[in-house]
Amino acid sequence: MTMNSLLLVASLAIPFAWLAAFALPNLRGRALSTLWLAPAPALAAGLVGLGTGPPIEWTASSTGPSLSLDRSGALLLVSAALLWMMVSLPLFRSERPNDRMGLCWLMTMVGNLGVFVAGDLVSFYCLYALASIPAFGLFAFSPDGQSRRAGAVYMAFTILGEAVLLLAFAMLVASEPHGSLRIHDVMASLAASPWRGAVLALVIAGFGMKIGTVPFNGWMPLTYTASPTAVAMVLSGAGVNAGVIGLLRFLPLGDALPVAGSALMGLGFVTAFYGVLVGLTQRQPSTVLAYSSISQMGLIAAACGAALGQPDLLNSDAIAFYAANHLFVKAALFLTVSLWAIPGINSSRFHFVLAGALALGLAGLPPTGGYLAKLALKPGFASGVTASLATLSSIGSALLMTHFVMCLEGTRATEAAPAGLLRNWLAVAAGAMLVPWALYGLAGEAMSKAFGLSNLVDATWPVAVGLALAFVRRRAHWSLPDWPEGDTIGLWEAGFGRVMRGGPPVERLEARSRQWPASSLALVIIALVIAGASALGH
Amino acid sequence: MVAVLLPVAGILASFVGGGRAAARIMLLAAPLVIVIAGAIAIQIGYCGQPLVYTVAAIPPPLGIALRADGLSAIMMLTTAAIMPAAALYARAAFEPPNGISDSRESLTFWIMLQAIQAALTLIFVGSDMFNLYVALELLTFAAVPLVCIDGRAETMTAALRYLLFALAGSICYLLGTALLYGEFGTLDMALLAQRMRPAPAVWLASGLMTAGLLAKTALLPLHLWLPPAHANAPAAASAVLSGLVVKGSFFIILRLWFDILPILPAQSVDVVLGLLGSTAVIVGSALALRQARLKLLIAYSTVAQIGYLFLVFPLASGANAGASLGWRGGIMQILAHAFAKAAMFLSAGVLAQALGHDRIAKFEGAGRALPLTFFTLALAGLSLVGLPPSGGFSAKWLMLQAAIASGQWLWSIPILAGGVMAAGYMFRILTPAFADGTAAIVNSPDRTQGAVALGLALVAIALGFVPPAFFDFLEIGRTAAALVAK
Repeated sequence: MTMNSLLLVASLAIPFAWLAAFALPNLRGRALSTLWLAPAPALAAGLVGLGTGPPIEWTASSTGPSLSLDRSGALLLVSAALLWMMVSLPLFRSERPNDRMGLCWLMTMVGNLGVFVAGDLVSFYCLYALASIPAFGLFAFSPDGQSRRAGAVYMAFTILGEAVLLLAFAMLVASEPHGSLRIHDVMASLAASPWRGAVLALVIAGFGMKIGTVPFNGWMPLTYTASPTAVAMVLSGAGVNAGVIGLLRFLPLGDALPVAGSALMGLGFVTAFYGVLVGLTQRQPSTVLAYSSISQMGLIAAACGAALGQPDLLNSDAIAFYAANHLFVKAALFLTVSLWAIPGINSSRFHFVLAGALALGLAGLPPTGGYLAKLALKPGFASGVTASLATLSSIGSALLMTHFVMCLEGTRATEAAPAGLLRNWLAVAAGAMLVPWALYGLAGEAMSKAFGLSNLVDATWPVAVGLALAFVRRRAHWSLPDWPEGDTIGLWEAGFGRVMRGGPPVERLEARSRQWPASSLALVIIALVIAGASALGH
Repeated sequence: MVAVLLPVAGILASFVGGGRAAARIMLLAAPLVIVIAGAIAIQIGYCGQPLVYTVAAIPPPLGIALRADGLSAIMMLTTAAIMPAAALYARAAFEPPNGISDSRESLTFWIMLQAIQAALTLIFVGSDMFNLYVALELLTFAAVPLVCIDGRAETMTAALRYLLFALAGSICYLLGTALLYGEFGTLDMALLAQRMRPAPAVWLASGLMTAGLLAKTALLPLHLWLPPAHANAPAAASAVLSGLVVKGSFFIILRLWFDILPILPAQSVDVVLGLLGSTAVIVGSALALRQARLKLLIAYSTVAQIGYLFLVFPLASGANAGASLGWRGGIMQILAHAFAKAAMFLSAGVLAQALGHDRIAKFEGAGRALPLTFFTLALAGLSLVGLPPSGGFSAKWLMLQAAIASGQWLWSIPILAGGVMAAGYMFRILTPAFADGTAAIVNSPDRTQGAVALGLALVAIALGFVPPAFFDFLEIGRTAAALVAK
């Protein structure tokens, strides 16, 4: 085993060791107070993995679990590990949440770091479930009805997503002739599989439930609004990226499938604009941020579609970089919301400007990291129509983010973020804008491209237009009709209610089938049917 | 042979010794039973072929043979593990009152428990259809008293229902056996399989025997007896009834279709059984979602999980690609459900004792008072839902692969839907329990009982980690005919 694969194993084994320590009552307190150290090996492994070269691999046996870290995974792993460390440190050193929260936090973290390094289908599925299901406990146990509803909706989409992905994975395995479970192997044999279309659809639907593509977007606003700040930071940043890595790993990005690519791109852009439109109708800053996440994830889905259609234009590293940047900015923005809840802050012009710059980073404002992220995706949207749509989505993001900053003034006092984070808001915000530059450099991208004048101009004007539109909108009092938070979720809930109304009839039917006459009759009929069926072969 | 005799010897000794001694006999014999089952398993694994013992050295058709293949050994081990767990759990509940060396309840309980063990062992190693009938009857007559052991009118009704319907099933099975004997002049399974040929009597016999066994397995819509019986029996009994007893009759259905009748072209039978199973999965889960009492919920969950077992017929029939995966998935489902469900019923027992009720609506905050119990329920639930890592996940994963590989992807719908619905009913139990709040504890929970339940749930989880060699072991002794062409 080389040093690098040892590091890879440690990136997963060390967080698991923390989980084991939590199980022992006399180590529990220490495990929680030092929890922020657990992602350190993952951070190190990610930094090593960023370097150019073949992916770092580790395999237990030919059919056993395996780990693998390529550059896309490394980008997401580094960013996730940094975020988990940054939030865990103040949360568990000073705030001391209860054990239920601690356990759920730890499990979510282990799973979340794990999905980026999982090398085979079963490991990925296990870690993905670990990253998704315990997260329920991070926000759903507050006594108010809102968080209960959010929890139930979150769980429903999570379990549905797990089921859809399980079917997709079974199809993937069935397509692999040698019985290998390695993600690399199964994806390589997908091209010849009769189930390729079905796998594509299931993968897009399953991970779409995680990243909130239309029509699976409704859980996101409910969850983020119900979450305490620290939880919203990690879920909106690192949590959704589990879905992004899923798309990057399980879409056949090397196969050049123009039709499927266009369809995914269409879905992505619809989601991107839908997020902006509905986000503009919201007033609560954290809800606006959730819709911005939907919009950003829509753009990522569109980029995946571009890469699926024309693999030579866009690779997965660029998409991963975009997602990593979103992680930092979104986490910092949720912290910003919490900061504005402190009386006295919202009068400071400096804070507003910095928050604005941070927020507009999502629209690609130079010189924030968001500019680099937009630059990375640019080759994917090369043709006339897609380029216009991408520009339009930048304008939309700028509009939505300006709306967000305007909403900040009216922030209601929410559950405060850890004091340690609030104190260092400046550093967090600056880091969110600058760390992507470091990643950009480490990933070996050409810096000269970032300083090209035409690129700078191309990136700046949509932001300016969006900003101006937002101010015009405010001055002219253009308002959109109020939409309920969670929009489509109402339809899902109505559908669910209808299904549940099927319960009493089924119950009555079942009660009748448990009467003696019905059961005896059934016994006779089944005997005859089976006798008949076994005669049928002749 | 010793495996069969040991519980019987235990029963006889218990009659002599009385209730208190019976408990001791059962628990003392338990390690011995495990050792024997383990020895049989090792021997089978070592030789790579089934172990056959002809009673009194008279070969069939005149004599009776006992035959243990890989599957038998695993089932015996499962029984040997769950039985003492239930016994350990029950020791506190069925200890005769102080100062009295014996009580009707305790004596009945321990003797019936050992009778179930004897009957199951006989079913797992029996290779003669009439022999199996006797074992099946013993199983039923031992299981029924466990349901009504407390003598309440409610449980008496439940037990009577169970008894009557099981009897109807027995009659069907016996009729089928008679038809087979009339046609082929033997009831030895190996000989029957050799002589088997399509004939009207065979068709009728297969229908009668299968339907009779379905009634004893409580496959929906033949489940009228299961919810009241399993929900009203004492927790330890429910665990055994739900985890093991229904698997006994299912095991015979497996033997029937995979070992004796494989030459019948049975695609349409497979489809019928698969459809019945799917209906049971959906309807059972839907009913579980609507129960107000925990034990009834678990009982309906059993109805659903039994449905899963019957998907093995379309998925594992010999002609299909992926049949081996389907077979492995089906067996894994038996094992995972046995341990998970036993753990759930035992936990439900602890819970009902501690809270004084088992109404789900009043679980608010109970997780804080009974962390271990709800943790056990969560682990068992993990396996029932089919989330990794767990035996239930392995089972679903294998069955799904079999469904895809054999081109019968439609079966993946009940497999997945059942998992999602199971998540729904686990959510109903666990969410209020882990929420903030305080639940009043009536009796402090017994630590041993909680630990036993946890142990069973951990086995259900550990089944998710079995090495591939385990599945190869399961294939030992599957008749060549079943493997080649069905």
